[in-house]
Amino acid sequence: MNRRKFLTVSGAAVAGTYAGMKLEKPPQLPDGPAGDSAVAILRARSYSEDLVSRMLEGIQQCGLDVRGKRVLLKPNLVEFDSATVINTDAAVIAAAVEVFHKLGAAEVKIGEGPGHRRDTLDLADDARYRSTVPKFESIFTDLNRDDVSPVSNFAGESRFYFPHTVLAADLIVSLAKMKTHHWAGATLSMKNFFGVVPGSVYGWPKNKLHYLGIPESIVALNRQFRNTFAIVDGIVGMEGNGPIQGTPKPAGVLIMGRDLVAVDATCCRIMGIDPEKIDYLRLAADLGHVRAGRIEQRGETVAQVRTNFALIDAYKNLRLA
Amino acid sequence: MGGLYLESRLGFLRATQNADGGWGYFPGKQSWLEPTAYSMLALHGAAGSDAAVDHAWSLVRSWELADGSVRPGAGIADGTWVTALLVTLASVRGVHDENVARSVGWLLRVAGAEHNLLMRSFSYFNLLKTKLDVSHEGWPWRNGNAAWIEPTALTLVALKKAAAQFPSAELDHRVREGEELVLARRCSDGGWNCGNPNVLNFDLPSYPESTGLALVGLQGRSAKEVAGPLDVGRRLRAETKSSLAKAWLTIALRLHGQNPQAPAEESRVSPDIMLAALEALAHPEGNHRLLATGGRA
Repeated sequence: MNRRKFLTVSGAAVAGTYAGMKLEKPPQLPDGPAGDSAVAILRARSYSEDLVSRMLEGIQQCGLDVRGKRVLLKPNLVEFDSATVINTDAAVIAAAVEVFHKLGAAEVKIGEGPGHRRDTLDLADDARYRSTVPKFESIFTDLNRDDVSPVSNFAGESRFYFPHTVLAADLIVSLAKMKTHHWAGATLSMKNFFGVVPGSVYGWPKNKLHYLGIPESIVALNRQFRNTFAIVDGIVGMEGNGPIQGTPKPAGVLIMGRDLVAVDATCCRIMGIDPEKIDYLRLAADLGHVRAGRIEQRGETVAQVRTNFALIDAYKNLRLA
Repeated sequence: MGGLYLESRLGFLRATQNADGGWGYFPGKQSWLEPTAYSMLALHGAAGSDAAVDHAWSLVRSWELADGSVRPGAGIADGTWVTALLVTLASVRGVHDENVARSVGWLLRVAGAEHNLLMRSFSYFNLLKTKLDVSHEGWPWRNGNAAWIEPTALTLVALKKAAAQFPSAELDHRVREGEELVLARRCSDGGWNCGNPNVLNFDLPSYPESTGLALVGLQGRSAKEVAGPLDVGRRLRAETKSSLAKAWLTIALRLHGQNPQAPAEESRVSPDIMLAALEALAHPEGNHRLLATGGRA
């Protein structure tokens, strides 16, 4: 364990005392699965643009078929602070609901289980989800307080509970926000899965995940749920001390793909972060592609849209050359 | 009892009780101990509610495990922080049997996992990325995890209420330790968040929900110690957009002898059952006194 890892471990005291202690030296980056992965980068300079058309274009470029499927949209809804960019923007969620209906999904639901114990429905109200997304209350489930069932052998746990709404979905769409993160380096489509862990069983924050290890938990969740798609809201992201106290950073992009590892690696490159230095991406490299050479960039190229996000001192070493 | 505000919430709770006697977090969902406990407290003593509350009590008692912990719901195999809620309910109902004694014992055995020699050493040498006082024992959401404000506050209420029936030096010690942990984890803005006031040398903001719960747990501390937090609580209550926060802060202020303004009678009832129960408890004529601990153990 190197010094940074050691401090991350111990720093996770409340966030998970022993989390990083079991981390060995970051493994050699595997080649990843067979074949390359398509990731679409679509420009969208503001939330008032035609996001439905952008999403349809990106989804088509990634070859996703949702006909007849029960789709669960999983936004990143974190905090009351409508003046900042903590949460996935309501316009992105409303567009996604419309898009997946247009594409023939049998059902489109929205589910989120915020990491802090706040009033989820009021939080959604403050984030303009209720006013922007048609029939929001009838399609939204608070995943922290949904009915649950156990799955076997999750992250070394013989029994781990997940919400019925998540277990019943044929496709989970991670509607993540492009943000820096004070524990993980960046929070994107894969970290967003922390919100499917029910607080009613594991508490707020989901401390059990911290004890399993933050990078390990991110990967375990994405290993558990493989029928997924990512749409990352990078129209205005967050830089600096994310995921809550950072500052808005317009990047003007939506990033989409079926390989969430490749999506997150692409987002990192757009943010000026070296994805090969992000622990959870290294650990997830058997699930998808981290290396740029294995990612087929559709739409814009990374170079065309790269916008370096400010990094706090502890993560300056993540800067992409 | 009270007017439209309180009656509409109690009526909603009566109408949404599940056939097994419990309440889900939302109508029609499976029963969980948390919304059941707060619904029971809200309906306690209300006209025509005795049978409903007794039925709920039978259900939550069926979730007691041999080690004294209590499961959060029928489908969950292991016990969690909700054990504190059962002990509080037992005190309210005047039940002090062996099973409750075991639950008190379980609460006394469980402590935040960060309170160990290794972590205290890291903290002493300033090696943690969180500026965190790990010198006190609080309570985790689940055994084996770190201590946080909410489970610590709820357990403080449970143990202080149970202290007269289950007195011990260990109980007194854990109550003092729990209170010290809460005080030590106050955020720089004066309130509390879930229990982590600083990460990577950045102060984190408080949350009104956690601040309300912390104040509930600190009943009985000196006026000097809670004066500042109560000021913060009043401010947060006025500012917050969170109904859950408003309910917890109102309960906390009332338990500290203050009299915050009652809500508008026509306020709509949320479909969130636990929130409806907490709002009923927070009403001037609601049962918030059932969470009163009467001072330190």
